[in-house]
Amino acid sequence: MSDYISRADLLSWLEKVSQSRDLVAPVKIEDLTLFQKVERVEDIVFDPGNTDLSPKEFFFPKSEVLFYVDRSDGRVELVPAEVEQETVIFGIRPCDAKGIAVLDLPYLEEPADALYRQHREKTTLVGLSCVSACPECFCTSMGTTPDDASNVDIMLTEVEEGFIVQVVTEKGKALLPEGLLSSKEVSPPAAPSVASVPSEGIAEKMHQVFDSPYWDRLADRCLHCNVCSYVCPTCYCFDVRDLRSGGRVERVRSWESCQSPGFTKIAGGYDPRAAKGPRLRQRFAHKLLYFVEKFGVTHCVGCGRCVRSCPVNIDIREVIQDVQGLGVKSEA
Amino acid sequence: MNATEQIVAKARELLESGTVECVIGYERATDGVNARPLFVYQAEEAGKLIFDQTCAHNLAKYLLNRKGKATAIVAKPCDVRAVNLLINEHQVERDKVLIIGVVCPGMVETKWGRVSEKLRQACELCREHTPVVYDFLVGEPGDEEAAVEYPDVARMEALSIEERRAFWEEQFSRCIRCYACRQACPGCYCSECFAERLDPLWVGIRIAPSESWIWNTMRAFHLAGRCIGCNQCERVCPMNIPLSLLNRKLEKETLELFGYRAGVDAETPAPFATFRKDEKLEVGE
Ligand code: SF4
Ligand code: SF4
Ligand code: SF4
Ligand code: SF4
Repeated sequence: MSDYISRADLLSWLEKVSQSRDLVAPVKIEDLTLFQKVERVEDIVFDPGNTDLSPKEFFFPKSEVLFYVDRSDGRVELVPAEVEQETVIFGIRPCDAKGIAVLDLPYLEEPADALYRQHREKTTLVGLSCVSACPECFCTSMGTTPDDASNVDIMLTEVEEGFIVQVVTEKGKALLPEGLLSSKEVSPPAAPSVASVPSEGIAEKMHQVFDSPYWDRLADRCLHCNVCSYVCPTCYCFDVRDLRSGGRVERVRSWESCQSPGFTKIAGGYDPRAAKGPRLRQRFAHKLLYFVEKFGVTHCVGCGRCVRSCPVNIDIREVIQDVQGLGVKSEA
Repeated sequence: MNATEQIVAKARELLESGTVECVIGYERATDGVNARPLFVYQAEEAGKLIFDQTCAHNLAKYLLNRKGKATAIVAKPCDVRAVNLLINEHQVERDKVLIIGVVCPGMVETKWGRVSEKLRQACELCREHTPVVYDFLVGEPGDEEAAVEYPDVARMEALSIEERRAFWEEQFSRCIRCYACRQACPGCYCSECFAERLDPLWVGIRIAPSESWIWNTMRAFHLAGRCIGCNQCERVCPMNIPLSLLNRKLEKETLELFGYRAGVDAETPAPFATFRKDEKLEVGE
């Protein structure tokens, strides 16, 4: 027996949820599918396939005020920004949920990022298993699976006319009213098969090929356009600036990317990573080597977004494969 | 010989003879159906080159990374106008570039893993199927080309100012300021873009409608009379913002006011880079 909810009951529950909290779910905006605050639950997209941007922006917004500087009576006061709103993210896929668990590592490590922690505490994740896999996904090679429930609060798996419900955490339990779920004799569909990538031992190989001319050749075609970082659920770099706004000053942070010109420029104008090869290598070295060394997991969850969105087809699956090959050659 | 075979043979010959150090062309992407840019340095690797209706990237941008080095480039008519733009603006030396021009069948709409038969909008509107200049031509040159038309711009001009404003506000609100449009654009090569300037500060770092509005309008104006219409900005924009509408509006204005289209040759001075005393354009007319 499984806990079960019909599609109609799910929608009316979500409707109720949206009255007391921000309900965020995939919706169609022109040709794109994006996680957005839902106005009408009928707009929610249940289709398989990953959204064009990841839901990371609900924890790490594109732009966010960190604190305000107020002046009055000749005194200066720093007023920290606070996250007030409770949010429920519905329809998050296992790769993106794992992406948030990956973001937790740098952002919740003490001293934790105050705003990130508040977003995290005030948000409940309702996941949706993938019943089919996109051709560009490779989650099973990156430490998660299409039905992985370990990084959400509630997990749903679509079966005929409804969903099997797994209540994973206390936070998830608190969101569900008594009596909403019924028991039903249904078994979950088999998880889809996902293309695999030779990620075994990749950090060690990355270390060995750090100085390979491979990176310069790969970077020949890179536009350093930031698209890969901005669509990625795990990229977490930002820039900070003080901006005047009305009568006060705001310290703002906005998404930034290691691919952008001047990302590593330092006082005096020197840029240690100005050349194309080292700049592009940074993306892969961070994901497959440095992050693994520091936190023990890859900084990629295999969602396939960068594979799909890079305008010149720099494909991390191919890079992993190539790097494994290079390592073998250099040993011989 | 088809286009691919001609390009492969030419690339091989140029690399074997040492005429160029590198041939920039296209190869098959990892989805098996699309194309991606390829840099060929060894004659043995020329066999990877392809040409078909998925070769939508404008490779001229890459010439900026190979300044002073003998390079051959596979170029469609719009890409050739980008090469002209870069020569005209003294970014690239003509004698270092060998243009393998391709008579263009038009590029089709593609997505990752999928290729349609529908022509891209820019290609549907394009009237120039033979490159204006080349060192070697792939394909048979076509007849006299028809005049350029701007039906998309005309549709926009028919709307009221309020409607246009609402349209662009909505479009720009999606911008994530990744700058992919700029990075793909052959006309955007400033060593420091205004968007990254701190002093003076033209635009703040917020990824928010107010800033995105400034970013997109200023970039459009910097391309006025310089945009060659390859539509890379729109092709690479991850948020599907119809940037070509802005660029084509400015292209149309430049054509009407100055009889000038960027990249048609590499010599005519650009309207915004010249001042003539006899020009008396009344502001606001
Ligand atoms: S999306 Fe592709 S071209 Fe753009 S920075 Fe990333 S790897 Fe380079
Ligand atoms: S690196 Fe690419 S595949 Fe990996 S998590 Fe980021 S966007 Fe997804
Ligand atoms: S490519 Fe699109 S989303 Fe990115 S900065 Fe340009 S207009 Fe904005
Ligand atoms: S937007 Fe303007 S300043 Fe920025 S690179 Fe393009 S032309 Fe230069």
